[in-house]
Amino acid sequence: MKLGSYDVKLEKRLTLTGWEAATISILAILFALVLFSFIFLQAGVNPITGYEEIFSYAFVNLYGLPLTINRFIFLLLCTCAFIIPFRAKLWNIGMAGQLYAGALGAFAVVFAFGIKKSPDLDLSPGVVIPLMMAAAAVGGGASGAVVGFLKGKFHTNEIVVTMMINFITFWLVAHMIKEGGPFMGAGGEGEGYKLPASLYAPLIMGVPFTVFIALGLAVLLYFLFVKTNIGYQIKAYGHSPSAARYAGISPFKIPLLVFIMGGLIAGLAGYHYFAAVPGVYKITKNYGDFGDLAFYGIICGLISQGNPLAAIPIALLFGGLTNGGRFAQGKLKLGFGIDYALLGILMITLVAFQFFYRYKIVWIKKEKEK
Amino acid sequence: MPLEKIKRGDTVLEARGITKKFPGVVANDKIDFTIKAGEIHAILGENGAGKTTLMNILFGFYQPDEGEIYINGEKVNFRSPLDAIDLGIGMVHQNRKLIPAHTVIENIILGHPKAGNILNLKRTGEEITALCDKYGFKIDLKAKVWQLSEGEKQVVEILKALYRGAKILILDEPTSALAPPEMKKLLASIKIMTRDELAIIPFITHKLPIVLEVSERVTVLRRGKVTARLETAGATEKGLAKEMVGREVIFRTEQVEVERGKPILQVENLSALNDKECLALKGLSFSVHEGEIFGIAGISGNGQHVLAEVLAGLREAEGGKVFLDGTNITRSSSLERWERGIGYIPSERIDVGSIGDFSLIDNVFMNYYFDEEFSKWGIVDSKKIRELTKEIISEYDVATPGPDTIAKSLSGGNLQKLILARVLSRKPRFLIANLPTQGLDVGATEFVQNKLMEAKKEKAGILLISEDLDEVLSLSDRVAPIYEGEFMGIIPREEAKRENIGAMMAGLKHKVEEI
Repeated sequence: MKLGSYDVKLEKRLTLTGWEAATISILAILFALVLFSFIFLQAGVNPITGYEEIFSYAFVNLYGLPLTINRFIFLLLCTCAFIIPFRAKLWNIGMAGQLYAGALGAFAVVFAFGIKKSPDLDLSPGVVIPLMMAAAAVGGGASGAVVGFLKGKFHTNEIVVTMMINFITFWLVAHMIKEGGPFMGAGGEGEGYKLPASLYAPLIMGVPFTVFIALGLAVLLYFLFVKTNIGYQIKAYGHSPSAARYAGISPFKIPLLVFIMGGLIAGLAGYHYFAAVPGVYKITKNYGDFGDLAFYGIICGLISQGNPLAAIPIALLFGGLTNGGRFAQGKLKLGFGIDYALLGILMITLVAFQFFYRYKIVWIKKEKEK
Repeated sequence: MPLEKIKRGDTVLEARGITKKFPGVVANDKIDFTIKAGEIHAILGENGAGKTTLMNILFGFYQPDEGEIYINGEKVNFRSPLDAIDLGIGMVHQNRKLIPAHTVIENIILGHPKAGNILNLKRTGEEITALCDKYGFKIDLKAKVWQLSEGEKQVVEILKALYRGAKILILDEPTSALAPPEMKKLLASIKIMTRDELAIIPFITHKLPIVLEVSERVTVLRRGKVTARLETAGATEKGLAKEMVGREVIFRTEQVEVERGKPILQVENLSALNDKECLALKGLSFSVHEGEIFGIAGISGNGQHVLAEVLAGLREAEGGKVFLDGTNITRSSSLERWERGIGYIPSERIDVGSIGDFSLIDNVFMNYYFDEEFSKWGIVDSKKIRELTKEIISEYDVATPGPDTIAKSLSGGNLQKLILARVLSRKPRFLIANLPTQGLDVGATEFVQNKLMEAKKEKAGILLISEDLDEVLSLSDRVAPIYEGEFMGIIPREEAKRENIGAMMAGLKHKVEEI
């Protein structure tokens, strides 16, 4: 293509540094915001006002910010749960089921201590909270293990299996909390029982301590894939199962391992939302919405290209926008679904801009012909 | 169409000053090339010399950055292979572009303008049979392509091009997958085609004697440039190799006399299934000794690949036993076999032997991740593995910018050097080398063969699987021709005659004595 006295060409990139990738992502976000401005304009809202509402509620407002952070923790855990199998080129679509299983695990611990008989039970948080988290991890991990086992042993399609387990676990939760189920709350309104105040997860400056778990896991996973032997084996399996098999890497153990690890982390996401977020502390009636939110983990995982560190800002952005978008929609009296439209445009642009991970635009000044 | 009225001796295709650049490399640098009707004009070059690029330009797959192509004196501008096909250029791909589940005839008429919406298979069948008779091809038109041997698939591609009306035929490595008898037939057919004024352009990296036998003219490429244009009448094998490689090449790898030690690998009555669940190994028994190269000669698909996979632990044995140093390893995992000192050089170097998107370091690590010296507490000792990779690159002269380069960017020969080096650096007791030089150019082949000899000198037992009879004969201490999953005999080198082994590869077990 020619532009004035310049020749514009697409050239294949041979390498891509982390900084280049970050710059491309930021440009993509800006581009998406510009595109979305047209929707604001069409709705008769000044885009600057619109974005101000969204971002200030999501990242500054005293009510909005904690919500954003809680969603961020949840999304980051779901993203990590997606990323581990993703590095083995396996698709974990089952974060929803795994987090339900994790929530059931966590609440089963308190149930086992006899919460239903004496709701004011005084349990030692130092013992029970770690037990709840462990049970959440085991629940999610077990849910993932089924998928990994079937994949490794019988080559079943992991996407189908994870999806099916989502449905099974969804209804299992319904069975447990609704209509006389063992975890039913006192009010009988289709909700789970409430945790005793002593078991509320500790807050640090108003933020559940799970934020450190999520950030720590992201860093740990980064380290796992860059430095460790098992991370190498997972990547080798992901890039070429046949080459991995040649090298002696077990085509059974790797799927099993990555799905157990992924499920375990998704289980913790279940613990986080139902047992650590202020004001919740129970399996809520609308628990299915959090299952749906878990699917953003896939989006964040894909945009970060499986890099757990890159997932941190992306999960924060999506956590903020899901929150601020909904708020702005109400405040500015925009049409239904405008928040989803914003997220949708953002996702499409981010994915489309990944084209520039592989190609770059080169400008060559044409020599004057003699 | 201009190519329909041509006389013998007319220049049908001319390329002038073809230049094609890719980021960082000039693949074709001002290449001139002409071919006349009824002529065979071979293009020779090592891997990476620019043959593939030139071929893709002549077939309209790439557009040259500079230069022109003339067909029958008229300048042409191919936008896609379809333009080239319409002007009478046919291409026989090395990586066959056929649909395995379809029959021969369906593959031939696929994309043919005459095919239309309703297939008249009967009439087409008659026309194709006529072509077969004319050029001496024998093929079952109703057979499914997956059932065919490599040689037969090549015939299908040739027929496809001819049926489409090709007057200029580009053959990509036509001899690479053929056994000696198949090769003879192909060459005879090509000779008949030239009598019909067809122009044939074979692109070749090895098997130079065949080039000399059939072609009239040869153009040699090296690093994107034409280094020689010769009449074959005045050319020698050595001379051509020198032009290709840029230095003298020794054709026979020096045999090293090593005293045969105790047996390392013993195989008893081994049988196994292939991917189609048919019996591919029918009770093989043999042993490989220290300091011995045990060569298996055979046309691909006769069970040698299954044997390699069974010995490497990548495929289960159906029956029989395998012993390594006296220990039964029949049921051992591939990891356990690596740890016990078996090394495997797979024939599929891109899909199995390496990981294209991984750096060279990570590719070397494929054979070291289980080695405790290279990872402590589960953390990779990246310094150590980097050092090893650097050593391998310099010792084996792997042409690459550095250890962090991704494996995909290496040429076939350099990739094979890396795989070989990585496996040999483990000092395996027993080495399985499956088609170690297939597709490699003269220089890389020589290198690989010498390295196998060095391993033999260090007392490794080596199982060499090759389709190249000359290679098996010149390297092996004992030769076992394999046919349909059975050895037709196990013959010491002194007694192995080329004709004998060739006949045994074709399944003539019992006639050996008479020949």
